[in-house]
Amino acid sequence: MKIDKQKFPDTDGFFGEYGGKFVPETLMYALEELEDTYSKLKDSEDFKKEFYADLSDFVGRPSPLYYADRLTKHYKSGKIWLKREDLNHTGAHKINNTVGQILLAKYMGKKRIIAETGAGQHGVATATVAARLGLECHIYMGAEDVKRQSLNVYRIKLLGAHVHAVDSGTATLKDALNEALRDWVTNVDDTYYIIGSVTGPHPYPMIVRDFNSVVGFELIDQSKALFGRMPDAIIACVGGGSNAMGAFYPFIDKKETRLIGVEAGGNGVSTGEHAAPLNDGSPGVLHGARSYLMQDEVGQVKDTKSVSAGLDYPGVGPEHSWLKDIGRAEYVAINDQEALDAFHTVTKLEGIMPALETAHAFAYLDHLPKDFDESTNIIVNVSGRGDKDINTVAEIDGIKF
Amino acid sequence: MNRLRKKLDHLISIKEKALVAYLVAGDPDLDSTLDLMHLFVKSGVDIIEVGVPFTDPIAEGPIIQKAHDRALKNNISLPNIIKLVEDFRKVDDSTPIILMGYLNTFSFHKELIDKSDQHGVDAVLVVDIPGELSISSYGISNPNIDSISLISPTTSQERIEKIAKNGSGFIYYVTLRGVTGSSNLDVEEINSNIKKIRSYSDIPTLAGFGIKSNEDARLLSEYSDGIIVGSSIVDMITKQSESRNFDRIGEYLRGLKNAIL
Repeated sequence: MKIDKQKFPDTDGFFGEYGGKFVPETLMYALEELEDTYSKLKDSEDFKKEFYADLSDFVGRPSPLYYADRLTKHYKSGKIWLKREDLNHTGAHKINNTVGQILLAKYMGKKRIIAETGAGQHGVATATVAARLGLECHIYMGAEDVKRQSLNVYRIKLLGAHVHAVDSGTATLKDALNEALRDWVTNVDDTYYIIGSVTGPHPYPMIVRDFNSVVGFELIDQSKALFGRMPDAIIACVGGGSNAMGAFYPFIDKKETRLIGVEAGGNGVSTGEHAAPLNDGSPGVLHGARSYLMQDEVGQVKDTKSVSAGLDYPGVGPEHSWLKDIGRAEYVAINDQEALDAFHTVTKLEGIMPALETAHAFAYLDHLPKDFDESTNIIVNVSGRGDKDINTVAEIDGIKF
Repeated sequence: MNRLRKKLDHLISIKEKALVAYLVAGDPDLDSTLDLMHLFVKSGVDIIEVGVPFTDPIAEGPIIQKAHDRALKNNISLPNIIKLVEDFRKVDDSTPIILMGYLNTFSFHKELIDKSDQHGVDAVLVVDIPGELSISSYGISNPNIDSISLISPTTSQERIEKIAKNGSGFIYYVTLRGVTGSSNLDVEEINSNIKKIRSYSDIPTLAGFGIKSNEDARLLSEYSDGIIVGSSIVDMITKQSESRNFDRIGEYLRGLKNAIL
């Protein structure tokens, strides 16, 4: 079957049976307004020019595709290439999306910006673009994550944004999203909500994917230039799934490229203590969209467990659920310990310290398919750098500063 | 005709406004919820809205969120709530009951909801589905169970028309931009929007969100067919959850009912 990726989502915001708009009525008009604005702007030359100029001069794109010689020798299963999203301004892929969405906010005349954040990278990326335009900015973050990611909390504050610690529910990313949605319902007239992943109600999963798919489009050109063909596999970590979706999307109709998403296995998928809905969840509705979800036997959302705050989320972007069901992408899980080991391995072998989220993608290099050999070209999407995780890793290693 | 439509028709015929009161099932426990439901009716409440707890209630303010959390700690789920309604019906077979909650829990128990009229449920209100859709869009269709649609101050003219024509039971007009329990009612906006809704639909329009005082209640009842009160009741339940003495709630509800007479 040939997939026409342009056809998804459909006009109601669905990827197959996933996606949609499941929000309180008050937000429907805001979603329609956003959809209208985006459909008018996305093909306008002025908008594209402004977006690509910001990606180049403010973010520092294109990010390199870098040959990881020592990792290649270490794993002996194929040539390993790293897409260096960690080199972006603010240290992760998240800035690609916020640069785009802040332009939408500007065109819509919104004066107030809100966002949720898990690891803090999206919070930093949002506070950064809001600061640049002088817009009031509020970041919602689970109280638990405020503790684990204190460095990013301070960065957000330095950028002039307000951080709201959310202690309802499990006090992590999903609760931050709940609170951001409540803020939006209340201040819907003057507020733009920059969602940080390919999650939430339509049109967000589409918009975030589109802005971040600059990653995948660069990969097409870089692959041709560096090894003369399309890659055999792209590996990316999946929490909500925006870095993976940005890398995967331009390859959906390129069947020679295997798309491998790596979820957070926490203490191991079989223990039930993880954040891997595509591996061990079922379809449900959370935060405005239908998608795979970690839920119990009565439809309540389950607690998640992951060493990485950015992957610690019970849901996943609807397009990933669709790609899983149609068999176009494969989704695996890596547990906390494997990710921590990979964090150290990559840091020592390549001099690149990956974010703990990204370390999950690297850890999969230990499980590469048997039919991969030295002629195989494998791309790992290095979604972010690990500076923010130093406190977490040190604590696990028993080190006190 | 189910209890809800019968009740609303009756109230309109005697030119009275409906008082709808909300509580969360299982907060502080199911026995108290049952007692409170009977107390509601004794205190002048016409229709009871029973909140179905959910882990991620995005439309709720902090008061009702915490009630959901407490109910979830008591392992309250739809099967217990249906049983609660059955128990209530042993004593009261006329007061309409609406279940209010989120799509994930309802769609998880589709069959139970589909047959819930047999257990005494009259209507379902799903907060997170777009107003022009109803529970039948999600595979739950039973003509005896009304699907209450919401219209808010931000709903476009075009959608007001669609939702008003599609609604059953009554239209729930959300009186403000915000979560449950917020403040700042804009009476002129409310009046003009309810007029619009009435131009498209004959079913009653009730107003909710942000009603705290007798004065709020009186004002909103002038423009609507009735009012819905939630957070202020849940707040009183929370404060009395140790003593389980809910007499003040009875007084509060009688005050509201008198204010809208």
